[in-house]
Amino acid sequence: MDFNPCMKHQLIRKTVREFVESEIKPHVALMDKESRFPWEIIEKMKPLNFFGLQVPKIYGGADLDTISYAITIEELSRVSAALGLCVTVHNSVGIFPILKFGTKEQQNRFIPAMASGDSIGAFCLTEANAGSDAGGVETNAVETKDGFILNGTKIFVTNGGVCGTILVFAVSEGRDKKNYASVFIVEKDCPGFSVGEIEDLCGMRANPVSSLFFEDCKVPETNLLGKMGQGMKIGLIALDTGRIGIAAQALGIAQAAFESSISYAKERQQFNKPLSKFQTIQNYLAEMATKIDASRLLVYRAAACKDSGKAFSEASSMAKLYCSATAKEVTDMAVQIHGGYGYSKEYDVERYFRDAKVTQIYEGTSEVQKMVIARSILSKPS
Amino acid sequence: MKSAKDIWVFGDYRNYFQNRVTLQILARAVDLATTTGGKVCAVVFGHNVNNYVAEYIAHGAQKVYVVDDERLSLYSLETYSRLLTRLAKEYKPETILVGATRFGQEMAPRVAKQLGTGLTADCIDLEIDKKGILVQIAPSFGGNLIAKIITPVQKPQMATIRPGTFQEQPHDDNAIGETIILPLPKDLPEDRIRLISSEYRPAKKQKIEDADIVICGGRGMGSKGKFKKLFDLACLMNAEVGATRPVVYSEWISHEALVGQAGKNIKPKILMSFGISGAIQHTAALTDADFIIAINKNPNATMMKMADVAIVADANQVCLGIIKALKEKIRD
Amino acid sequence: MLNIIVCIKQVPMVSELPWNSKTGTLKRELAEGMMDPASRRALEAALQIKENLDANICAVTMGPAMAEEILHQAKALGADEGVLLTDRRMAGADTFLTSHILSRFIQREYNSFDLVICGSQTSDSETAQVGPQLAEDLGIPAIGYINKISVKENTVEVQRHVDDFFETLSMDLPGLVTIDLSAYKPRYLALEGVEKAFENPDIRIIDAEKLGFNDDFNALKDSPTRIIDVFSPTTQNENRVLKGAVKKLVDQLFDEYGKVISSGMGKDLKTHEHDEV
Repeated sequence: MDFNPCMKHQLIRKTVREFVESEIKPHVALMDKESRFPWEIIEKMKPLNFFGLQVPKIYGGADLDTISYAITIEELSRVSAALGLCVTVHNSVGIFPILKFGTKEQQNRFIPAMASGDSIGAFCLTEANAGSDAGGVETNAVETKDGFILNGTKIFVTNGGVCGTILVFAVSEGRDKKNYASVFIVEKDCPGFSVGEIEDLCGMRANPVSSLFFEDCKVPETNLLGKMGQGMKIGLIALDTGRIGIAAQALGIAQAAFESSISYAKERQQFNKPLSKFQTIQNYLAEMATKIDASRLLVYRAAACKDSGKAFSEASSMAKLYCSATAKEVTDMAVQIHGGYGYSKEYDVERYFRDAKVTQIYEGTSEVQKMVIARSILSKPS
Repeated sequence: MKSAKDIWVFGDYRNYFQNRVTLQILARAVDLATTTGGKVCAVVFGHNVNNYVAEYIAHGAQKVYVVDDERLSLYSLETYSRLLTRLAKEYKPETILVGATRFGQEMAPRVAKQLGTGLTADCIDLEIDKKGILVQIAPSFGGNLIAKIITPVQKPQMATIRPGTFQEQPHDDNAIGETIILPLPKDLPEDRIRLISSEYRPAKKQKIEDADIVICGGRGMGSKGKFKKLFDLACLMNAEVGATRPVVYSEWISHEALVGQAGKNIKPKILMSFGISGAIQHTAALTDADFIIAINKNPNATMMKMADVAIVADANQVCLGIIKALKEKIRD
Repeated sequence: MLNIIVCIKQVPMVSELPWNSKTGTLKRELAEGMMDPASRRALEAALQIKENLDANICAVTMGPAMAEEILHQAKALGADEGVLLTDRRMAGADTFLTSHILSRFIQREYNSFDLVICGSQTSDSETAQVGPQLAEDLGIPAIGYINKISVKENTVEVQRHVDDFFETLSMDLPGLVTIDLSAYKPRYLALEGVEKAFENPDIRIIDAEKLGFNDDFNALKDSPTRIIDVFSPTTQNENRVLKGAVKKLVDQLFDEYGKVISSGMGKDLKTHEHDEV
């Protein structure tokens, strides 16, 4: 068992860090303040393969292993959680299901534009009456002789305002009168598709999370991903993958808050000594460091699990559950260490704090992760 | 022909009025020679260089070796370095000092290599130890520390000296020096580098080295955009903007503005230092600043300790505050 | 085909290393390594040359085993091969010895080179001496601090701005150039490049013996220069410390030092030009 990162993974980290530190970091505060999706930064990210992280080279991707993928998301989120979110959702729940379940024809048709970043991916499951409970989905797909007609409204769609290729979770009534969930690939210029208002959220403000409307939206038969009724299976595997990305994202946020706290604690003087000399603050820092380290090990283990072809659902749920809790706790402590400044927009920790919370909510709430973990551990022979 | 204890100073006269480094080194060499006992010699290559010879004598050179030839009228790295090597082999000086202009920094390493001796780059001080050995003092280890370096065995001892490090002596018309005129050797190999064109293009009107007011910015300014506010402030204060190495490497400002090792030494009456922690490669270049105002969030930063006034605050905020106040002053 | 050798160096990532004032040593182990920024520009110049003509780029570095990382990085960026000169006995080499070791490699293992490219000065020692000294060892001409290079038949034409002169020069090949810190802004590395570089992770590793150094070779001992003392500069002047809200601080500054701050005002208020990068 080797806990040291290999040279490749180190270089991946430095490569991403170099780019985000110089090209993204200077703009992050303003992006957040203005709730602006930075297209000009996306243009710079495109040639560096951020949008095709694990896509095979034949489709123009970087073909990275999952640990490299997690490191990329972690480093990106360390500077901009909102862009980390954009990239991880695009790569995991946007692209991955097409690579896993799509036909060669679908892959040829959709993947190159997504891998280059020209078409940003989104995955929509959540509706007004369906979130953690995927069974409540009401968006329906009616089969016609030349395809499907979709009707329904999806909410809280990450990348919603900027997406080009959307995986839509919808139900249709089969001949047996039972409901079958399926996933459809919808392109943004599809007639009947439209984007709703951008949500006014607590954090992740540079990501245009929005509602998506499907009104008699016609999609050709060739846009059905996998088979009719495979929706739940596709959704679950997509989310298992997505969780590694969200865990890495939460880890990146926690890391940023931690680094900021360390430098503030060394710099800020109270009672004629730096904060870092106070045991209370040292306790905070020790706790933060330990939680972050544990989080990192969980994420990389889940990623390694996926790379080795083993079942990784339990591992990725554990990583997501723990990393998101770490992000919330660590950013909270970071604000506390920064005191009044931490609550001010002059310092970044305030943004980390707002960004962190949602990692416990999306891509399966913490409560859902516990369900997944419990189901998995209880199903093992005792 | 042995002149074992002599200190040689390479006569770097191009761009003469701006480039005073040769005169500065001569002044220090005169000091050192009082301990070592040798003569201070200048070495001048070029064409029609008599006025420089006279100038060097007036500034402390007791002897000047001159090679005056039409073929030397333009600075040539290959010819000059071979020529200096030959003279050094023939006359065996104890020490050769070269100004750390770009030309000096290119030529000295080649001469040192040809002579098989050591060379210390960009010295900020020179001393003579008890054994009479030249102690070359230069920023080292990433500029965080100062190192004392010697060349204990090989001769000559060689160093390049950062411009602005020493104070030149006053011009003394009565000084007497010996001039040794040498012919250009006929067997020097042909130059493998040819000058196609050369144009005098001074970088700036006012040079930061000569500015009375300098505003220096460091990483603590936050970003390139915020750093640019220093130009507005400089414009209001009629100051020049300098920067630390991390800032130059991040391309917030061009390399011309680098204050410190591999950059400029400054000697302003007023220095305002924004968001600079004060690594030695930077602070060593500020020792001649008369009055320093430093702004940094960290009161323990080296720069804050060496300031006359240390303001504990966000550098960018204070910069904006001063700009606003100055603009109001102009309006009044 | 043009054979280009690019000399690169691994330097500590932070510019201000933690310094242990008690023991008087640098906490080098705390710093992550990275490719020296000037080396990165040297490599960029080579990559741009390769875009226009048939060239082979060999990236070489001398350093500890961990310096291998920057060779993978160089390959990821587009270098064709990476060579690590590493040996305990190479440690402590000054510029005289470093350039000598590099020249040994080039002469013994790579005799058919056309162009050597170095950064003008590394960010950790900034001597700017290794390039010129390497050229001297190889017996080739060198031009430092260049901004632009174009390869002609058997020569290169370069431009540079040094000591207030803007020069265009022509140099015979084989030759060496060092790239100015203002030129050849390096490209970012694409992730695909990293993946590709590790598909063929071969790095040639060469020790002192392979370079023909005998048993008593020791770079620290054999270097002509010797470091006899290292110290951290101390400053102990009385200084005034102002604290508080920014607005209050600025007011206080003007109250007490207003004359100083506005001493340069009144002349040339608008014509000052920015020095854009």
